[in-house]
Amino acid sequence: MRFLSDLWRILRNDKGALIGGLIVLIYCLVAVFGPIFVQVGDEQDASQAYLPPSWEHPLGTDSLGQGVLEQIIVGTRPIMIVGVLSAVITIVVGVAIGLLTGYVGGIVDTVIMRITDIFLTIPGLPLIIVLASVIHTTNPFVLACILSITAWAGLARAIRSQAMSLRSSDFVEAAQLQGVSLGNMIGRQLLPNVGPYVAIHFLLAITGAIYASVGLFLLGVAPISGNNWGIMINLAMAQGALYTTDSAFYLFSPMAAIVILQVAFVFFSRALDSVFNPRLRVQ
Amino acid sequence: MVSYIAKRLAMSLLVIFVVVSLSFFMIRLMPGNPMAALEAQLRMQGGLSEVEIQQRLNTVYGVTPDAPVWEQYLQYLWGVVRGDLGVPITNPGTTVVAVIAEALPWTIMVVAVSLIISFLIGVAVGAVMAAFQNSRLSQLMTFVVSLLSAIPSYLVAIALLYFLTSVYQVFPSGGAYSIDVTPGFNGPYLLSVLYHAFLPITATVITSFGGWALGMKGSAVSVLGSEYVRAAEARGLSERRITQSYVGRNSMLPMVTQLALSIGFMFGGSVFIETYFQYPGLGFYMIQSVGQRDYSLMMGCFLLITVSVIITNLLVDLLYPLVDPRIASPAARKRAPDTPTDPDQEVLPAGGTIG
Repeated sequence: MRFLSDLWRILRNDKGALIGGLIVLIYCLVAVFGPIFVQVGDEQDASQAYLPPSWEHPLGTDSLGQGVLEQIIVGTRPIMIVGVLSAVITIVVGVAIGLLTGYVGGIVDTVIMRITDIFLTIPGLPLIIVLASVIHTTNPFVLACILSITAWAGLARAIRSQAMSLRSSDFVEAAQLQGVSLGNMIGRQLLPNVGPYVAIHFLLAITGAIYASVGLFLLGVAPISGNNWGIMINLAMAQGALYTTDSAFYLFSPMAAIVILQVAFVFFSRALDSVFNPRLRVQ
Repeated sequence: MVSYIAKRLAMSLLVIFVVVSLSFFMIRLMPGNPMAALEAQLRMQGGLSEVEIQQRLNTVYGVTPDAPVWEQYLQYLWGVVRGDLGVPITNPGTTVVAVIAEALPWTIMVVAVSLIISFLIGVAVGAVMAAFQNSRLSQLMTFVVSLLSAIPSYLVAIALLYFLTSVYQVFPSGGAYSIDVTPGFNGPYLLSVLYHAFLPITATVITSFGGWALGMKGSAVSVLGSEYVRAAEARGLSERRITQSYVGRNSMLPMVTQLALSIGFMFGGSVFIETYFQYPGLGFYMIQSVGQRDYSLMMGCFLLITVSVIITNLLVDLLYPLVDPRIASPAARKRAPDTPTDPDQEVLPAGGTIG
């Protein structure tokens, strides 16, 4: 409860963060409930192609005469699912490895940290593109695993250095004297203390995953099936949207959807940052 | 100092080894791997004897398909060491190495120039934002900068393409230089190269300088609040001396660390930028080969991108002791345990978490 009232106080004073939080909330609602109320029909009518915005189609129509807004609403869910799944995988792996190596230390730490360093060095996006092109999956979970292939490493390193500084604190010593198990030590003693950092990183991991997954669909590396924003832009570009002014709405609407969501996430995470980091508030 | 460099060097070689092994694994060992697919395809076409099929596979991927796996692995490693990465399937007349050798300079140029420009702009903007922390201007700039840093670079690229190459045809929409100039060290050629590189560089700078600015602001603000700066002020040092050697240098430290982290990110982003601006760099060829299922070329591009990232990382690592003498002589570090910056204390790479 304390956390919620803190959050509300910060959001009230920081308009950017408030709006960001609201937009994220709206996107989540659209992702959950949107496809129930809005469907992209099967009927395709070339005479309806590239219509300007109207009451029936608020953002105009695409090259097949289907509404752009409807497609954006339906496309929200797959993007959000992959983004959140990938962020969850990143967080779980990163936090588990970071806490374990930071707390246990010794040879385990050295070996795992060398492996982490390798993942930190390999450029993430090219690796994701290579993996996605060979694996060629439509399964959101597999796609999420590919997207988080290198993202966990940075988090693991940051969490490790926090765990190392926690190792010498009194409550850890007290827990050690009680003889708690390793699982309890990491899950119940250390984890709550890195919680804030993890929460902020979770939001940033979502933005990173959305950036990369939309990119994969844009480039046509991931299989084009179903409906999401990346595929919409890809198809718009493939149909020469750059060279006809008629299709501007078709091209720019999904782009705007992505930009608004990414910006909202960043501003919202800034508010979370100042909730958890009282020092930032003073400055 | 020597052991520091040796450690870095060993690490770099290890990463290259891992990437080469990964590329072998993906091409050869994964279920439904490209090599088996090509073999099946050649067999389906018919007209080729078993021996000819094996020879084709050998020239494309540089390994003997019916040898034991470990022998293929050694063959592949040896090929990479000799600089033989096979032959692109779609264009058997040339070699993968020839294609990527031609593409590499363009990528390096665009990435290096945009990294330097965005670093300089970002650090300057960040320093200004930290200097006038509570002013209206600084708040506005923070807003604009976080807005820009949250926009994916490929969307900026599409917008630039739309407005500057098709609505207003100010810039060319592809290529590295126009066809009517002769490559070489002459004025028209250099101008044409600049003209063609302008949009890719602009798109990258627009989306990446914000991360630097925010990082620099945070770092400079924390240095400004530290005690040694107050002590320096109390000792009556000149404003200029404090700004340069106390605040400037110390707040630059995490920026240099971040430089290493963001290089991988820049190379990754260049894949999108080059594809959209049809700029003939590594990323462009990589995406093209993905589309054409030309896996030997794709892995070659990936390998070279990784090697470029590693080499630039090494350069930054070598630069780091110059900026922070404590790295080079650990004894000095022990004397000053409370350092304001710790290389392990990760700053998020500019632009997100996927580097």
